[in-house]
Amino acid sequence: MADQPILTRRRLLSLFGAAATLPVLSACGSSVGGGDTGSGGSGGGGGGTVKVGLVVPQSGVYAALGTDLQRGWELWLQQNGGKFGDYTVETVIADEGEGPPTGVPAVQKVLQSDGVDVVVGLVNSATALGVKDTLTEAKKLLIVTNAGAEDVTRAQRTPYIWRSSFTNGQIAAAMGTHLASSGFKDGVYLIAPDYAAGKEVIAGFTSAFEAGGGTVLASATTPFGTTTDYQPFLTGIQQAGAKATFCFYSGAEAIAFVKQYQQFGLSSTIPLYGSGFLTEGSVLKQQADAALGVQTTLHYSDQIDNPANKAFVEAYKGAYGGESPSCFSVQSYDAANVLNRALASATALDGDALSTALGGIGTVDDSPRGPWEFENQTPKQNIYLRKVENVEGVLVNAIVQDLGPQSQPAA
Amino acid sequence: MLVSVLNGFAIGFLLFILAVGLSLVFGMMDVLNLAHGALFLGGAYLGAALAGSWGGFLAALAVAAVAGLAAGALLSLMTEPLRNRSHLDQALLTLGVAFVAAEALIIVFGDDPLSVPAPPGLDGSVTVLGATYPTYRLVLIGVGAVLAIVVHVVVERTRIGALVRATVADREMVAALGVDNRLVKVVVFGVGSLLATTAGVLGGPIYGARPGLDATVLILALVVVVIGGLGSVRGALLGALIIGQVDTLGRLLLPELASFVLFAALALVLVLRPQGILGGAGARAR
Amino acid sequence: MTAVQTRIPVADAPAEPNRLRRGLPRIVAVAVVLVLAAAPLFLAPFATTTLTRIVVFALFAVSLDLLVGITGLPSLGHAAYFGAGAYAAGWVSINVTAEAPVPLLVGAATGAVAAALTGWITVRTGGVFFLMLTLAIGETVQQLANTWEDATGGANGLTGVPSVRLAGEPLVNAGYLYWYVLAIGVVGFALVWLVARSPWGAALRGIRDNEPRMRALGYPTAVYKYAVFVLAGSVAGVAGSLLVAQQRLVTPADLSFLTSSFALLAVVIGGAGSLWGACLGAAVVVLVRETLGASLDGHGPLVLGLVFVLVVYLLPRGAAGLRWPRRDKGRST
Repeated sequence: MADQPILTRRRLLSLFGAAATLPVLSACGSSVGGGDTGSGGSGGGGGGTVKVGLVVPQSGVYAALGTDLQRGWELWLQQNGGKFGDYTVETVIADEGEGPPTGVPAVQKVLQSDGVDVVVGLVNSATALGVKDTLTEAKKLLIVTNAGAEDVTRAQRTPYIWRSSFTNGQIAAAMGTHLASSGFKDGVYLIAPDYAAGKEVIAGFTSAFEAGGGTVLASATTPFGTTTDYQPFLTGIQQAGAKATFCFYSGAEAIAFVKQYQQFGLSSTIPLYGSGFLTEGSVLKQQADAALGVQTTLHYSDQIDNPANKAFVEAYKGAYGGESPSCFSVQSYDAANVLNRALASATALDGDALSTALGGIGTVDDSPRGPWEFENQTPKQNIYLRKVENVEGVLVNAIVQDLGPQSQPAA
Repeated sequence: MLVSVLNGFAIGFLLFILAVGLSLVFGMMDVLNLAHGALFLGGAYLGAALAGSWGGFLAALAVAAVAGLAAGALLSLMTEPLRNRSHLDQALLTLGVAFVAAEALIIVFGDDPLSVPAPPGLDGSVTVLGATYPTYRLVLIGVGAVLAIVVHVVVERTRIGALVRATVADREMVAALGVDNRLVKVVVFGVGSLLATTAGVLGGPIYGARPGLDATVLILALVVVVIGGLGSVRGALLGALIIGQVDTLGRLLLPELASFVLFAALALVLVLRPQGILGGAGARAR
Repeated sequence: MTAVQTRIPVADAPAEPNRLRRGLPRIVAVAVVLVLAAAPLFLAPFATTTLTRIVVFALFAVSLDLLVGITGLPSLGHAAYFGAGAYAAGWVSINVTAEAPVPLLVGAATGAVAAALTGWITVRTGGVFFLMLTLAIGETVQQLANTWEDATGGANGLTGVPSVRLAGEPLVNAGYLYWYVLAIGVVGFALVWLVARSPWGAALRGIRDNEPRMRALGYPTAVYKYAVFVLAGSVAGVAGSLLVAQQRLVTPADLSFLTSSFALLAVVIGGAGSLWGACLGAAVVVLVRETLGASLDGHGPLVLGLVFVLVVYLLPRGAAGLRWPRRDKGRST
């Protein structure tokens, strides 16, 4: 936060064309000559500084996620003296906002105006997909710390974009396999919001579930972002004679769905399963007892029993007033971790060199989420089956079972 | 199926309480109050902050009522200098107020979505028509029906109501009769806003409180008002009950078109009857 | 509420300006275009990109001003046509060709068709009803963009749009792209300006000021309004195709209510009815949005809301009203 006034002034100056006074921009005082659209950047001064643009939401509906992402990133740096190996890390923060109209310019701004070497962040999938050309043309590296769209590391894959989080289908597929092998081969009802991520979750679940011998009873999509009354759909689930429900909701929709699932009497007869965001972070407290017994899959829970996670949770709570970390905190914490590893062997700070180096870091063995590795530039990681339980008056996502390593599902 | 009809009534009455203020303010003053959704959200946040016990819930209702009245009177005074300006200017002013109010609510209450508990005793479920149904929504139907009747009687049967209706019909004439219609405007704006914030508290246990909810309910209220016809209490009631059913029964019967049923209903009404079901011909021209 | 203007609206064209006043705006206009054209020679790429965004948004705002300021049709859903043009131009660039005039023409045609399909409902109404209907249409079109994944990419947006090609050469360089966008933007602006200056434009102003009177004079006002609605949709579609050329992606957020309201803000800041004012307003909106985004702890909308309120009170005629004294009082719609 402290560097914001500088940030703003610099941006203003560059906008009004007074940019020539700034070293970063004077390297490229014209937008016409040659095909180079990127600015000079501050790289090349070996062993000096690596400048990172942290683009996370500071406004809009994802602002809470942005806070967790920023905390995870800052915690890692704080624990490691603000350095990646010999490089001093300089972080420039920009606001991703709610979607591409703010997110894409924010990425362009840190790349072209602040001249960062690496971009880290992005919550919104459309933004992550939308900055592909910008990064490719600037030949800079982006580590996506949330956006779960399959295409980021599948159909639209580029060497310049890596991901430290998850894919929508990956988390759902683990649940699909699990439910097919635990007595729910038929009678599973799928429900998700009517937008890209919801459909990817349904697709990921369905293919794994069917591969395990299951048959989906029916599926429904609910209007995205405009409704929090699920009564008609809950009645639809009952009428279909479902034996179990698998759903994908997050934020306000997750709160409403879980509460109404109980209010309309479904929770006592039709067990509710979901993608982990259903009960992750601050929504769990709002769902209160309605969430008890809900089972979800995710690549993280603060309840994971390993030394790295114990230390991480303790440090996080200490640094941020007792608040527990979420999967978002871990995703940016790990982004710092993998960048640190890559810089140990990288020959330069450009996207090609960093991409090559990231490809060679092998297994990340000290992550709070347990060991994981990059596979097609996105984590191949263990997915955990979690169940909401009341532990000494606090609702937590207790680990039921480690479902083992899971890749991003094939197209 | 029957549960969906029942739920349609719960949503419908809630929408009526929300939309009737919007409709009257428009009908009387030609002001499209785009801050109406923010009023609802304010009520919902009050519910989230105070509810949990009966005392808290009632306190939330009382605070929301007073705050709504005050906010409505303020909005009325703010639009007064724009009396002779275009609809657009008035709409833009309220849009600006809506942005400011929504951000102020986020600053006060944070940007995490919040749930609003129903008062104790109503937070459970009962068996109705062979299905489990939340008690609170049943009570909401009753409260909504009573409020609807009260508003209807006040507007259609009392002297004050006659004044309001007369102002809707012909503002200049009422002014010529020696009635200060600025006062009428302040009162109607205030009461309409009071109903919106009250709807926010009442709707809290169903919709929760979250950033962005203001826009969602504003659109719902606009659709209700357009379908029912502008400036009419009966129109708002009819529109609200129709949208309540469309929003529940429609989605149950046509789940694959769930995202569109609302606007499909709107389009249908507009094509068949552009002035709204109960709208007079006068509502069209301006 | 009834307008008290009695003069025949056709006479609304600037009345007997002296030679200096007629000449000065032309010189200024030429100078502004020249400065804009020369800008990328001096500006760094990011500043040029921002300027490109401003030009795109300015053309969009100008198309809205044709409705709001010239004709008195206050639309809250104009982004629907902007977005429709953008999606169509993006789709054709990916699936058919990105060769220069094609995405542009497709964007224009789609904007026009979308406006033609929805306009026949909206122009039959006026005032607040028009506000509500355009808002509802905007919301529906956005919902469609979110849901119709095969064509729009759904919530993830239409990505991987190739650079616009001019004579087979892709316009990757920020400066060349800017010149392309500026050229189209200036042509689009000139088109709208000519329309506003034509007898047809004068008739539109007449409809704005007193529609019953225009009807009584024998003007088919419904046809006029419908035609201008389609034209505005078409120009918005062109702006949409420029948007795609610039950001190489389209998402449902591009046709959201927020986008519509930003365009309205631009029009109002500049002064409804003043086309150059709308361009100025667009520049202010884009700059404020981009510079205030990260500061203020993300409470940018607070500032925008205050700007709305202040502009409505303090600049009833927008920036355009600051320079020239009022010609007439108490315009009503």
